[in-house]
Amino acid sequence: MEVEKGKTFKYLREKREVSQEAKDNLKRFNQIKKTILDLLKESDLTIEQLTQKLNMPKNEVVFYLMSLVKFGYVQTGAIDEMDEYFSYKLKK
Amino acid sequence: MQGQIEEASYDVLVIGGGIAGGEAALNLANNGFKVLIIEKDLSIGGKMILLSKVFPTLDCSACITTPKVSEISRHPAITIFTGSEVQKIIKKDYNSFEVEVLKNPRYVIEEECTGCQLCEQACPVIVKDEYQFNLVGRKAAFIPFTIASPKVAAIDIENCTLCGACEKACPPKCIDFTQEKEEYRIKIKSIIIATGFKLFDPLMMPRYGFGLYKNIITSMQMERQLAPTRPFNTILRPGDGKVPCKVAYVLCTGSRDATIGNPICSQICCMYSIKQAQLLMGALPMADVTIYYLNIRSFGKGFEEFYEQAKGMGVNFVKGKIGKISELENGNLMLRYEDINENKVKEAEHDIVVLSVGVIANQDTAALFPDEQLKLDSFNFINQPDPLATPARTSIDGVFVAGTASGPMDIPDSILSAGSASSEAMSYLIQKK
Repeated sequence: MEVEKGKTFKYLREKREVSQEAKDNLKRFNQIKKTILDLLKESDLTIEQLTQKLNMPKNEVVFYLMSLVKFGYVQTGAIDEMDEYFSYKLKK
Repeated sequence: MQGQIEEASYDVLVIGGGIAGGEAALNLANNGFKVLIIEKDLSIGGKMILLSKVFPTLDCSACITTPKVSEISRHPAITIFTGSEVQKIIKKDYNSFEVEVLKNPRYVIEEECTGCQLCEQACPVIVKDEYQFNLVGRKAAFIPFTIASPKVAAIDIENCTLCGACEKACPPKCIDFTQEKEEYRIKIKSIIIATGFKLFDPLMMPRYGFGLYKNIITSMQMERQLAPTRPFNTILRPGDGKVPCKVAYVLCTGSRDATIGNPICSQICCMYSIKQAQLLMGALPMADVTIYYLNIRSFGKGFEEFYEQAKGMGVNFVKGKIGKISELENGNLMLRYEDINENKVKEAEHDIVVLSVGVIANQDTAALFPDEQLKLDSFNFINQPDPLATPARTSIDGVFVAGTASGPMDIPDSILSAGSASSEAMSYLIQKK
């Protein structure tokens, strides 16, 4: 098979099947990312508030939200009066 | 796997590119020897490059490691294979070894990657970032961490969906999914084992609840939270994102405990916990930090003063053995412990618990010598037959040990040990000429 530079992924696609786990992981992340970003479009939210709306364990919300902060989709907002929980907002 | 086996020769093979392996390689290369470093990870620098600060000086760890790593990477007499593993070492004659090395594909042409991270931005996949000890995500096309050396992208092929987004985004077109595993057969005159240590897995102590209760973390997870390239914007509980106020450290997790098979002291946990406690008090000025200990072993230069400094800053030291940790409804943790000084069983509530995990021997190296016996000591570290006169010598002539592969030690001792290993290897090479 002739391999064109810049399109070598097609070569490996022919030789190797992408695992179902990797496909499911991508699908799940895309869903969670879309939901979190849609919710944050409406207002700034804390992890507690996001957890209630997403119906997910809090530690998973922390993981996905912090990953979205890391990759520049979300930014940290203000901390509450008790200096315990931050709110998070969309990065503009 | 590619059909051909590439052949090469070097004076010294250094297995492991951490601080000990790197130091030994630099010493040898600066004295005119040709060195090959084999590193299983995607970057050299070992565990030290991931630390926040070092004790007892509180110097920035990255500021010490980065110039050293850069010097190793750019040295003309040092060749580095990252993402590679030694498969087998055969002693051929009185002064040579034949080493089989497997180089795993990175799916990126190292020489052409500029480290621009555009592939990372384009990649849609997110998985747990092992370099942040799973606290946050990374992409499947990724640069391991900001100060990685080489600062070159890699593709995590197990999690990649082969969508091609990274390849489309890459300006120099250096992503190459045609790469395969490569085999090397290398002739070597001497070997330095610098494979370091493994961290104790606290899942082996279910009574502490690690893994079950999300606000119990390991000391390496706290170390990452304290580092400048930290996963969160500040110190947070991974269970619910709360800024912790009451922090507990549980010393000797996986050390000095015969019940889990490691009866020896890890030598670093007391001091790194005291260091983290001091850094935490800087990061969270209102925090209340308690260290639960059996004995504080502050044996090194400046260690006792460092311990006294922590006490002076307000770190609370409790001589107590933890029986059980349980979780409360609000995510806080209840520590049930024996107060050794008062001879009473007590309970204390904390926001977050940090398990100061110990040092475990990395036993993988012994299996690399099918025809020779690389002897281990009773704790499975590499045996030193004559630790006083020739501390780097092992049971195999021409094979030396550096750093924590021979036993628990801190960073200065690892560097000293690497100096000893490189000196003994040089002496061996000169004698065998």
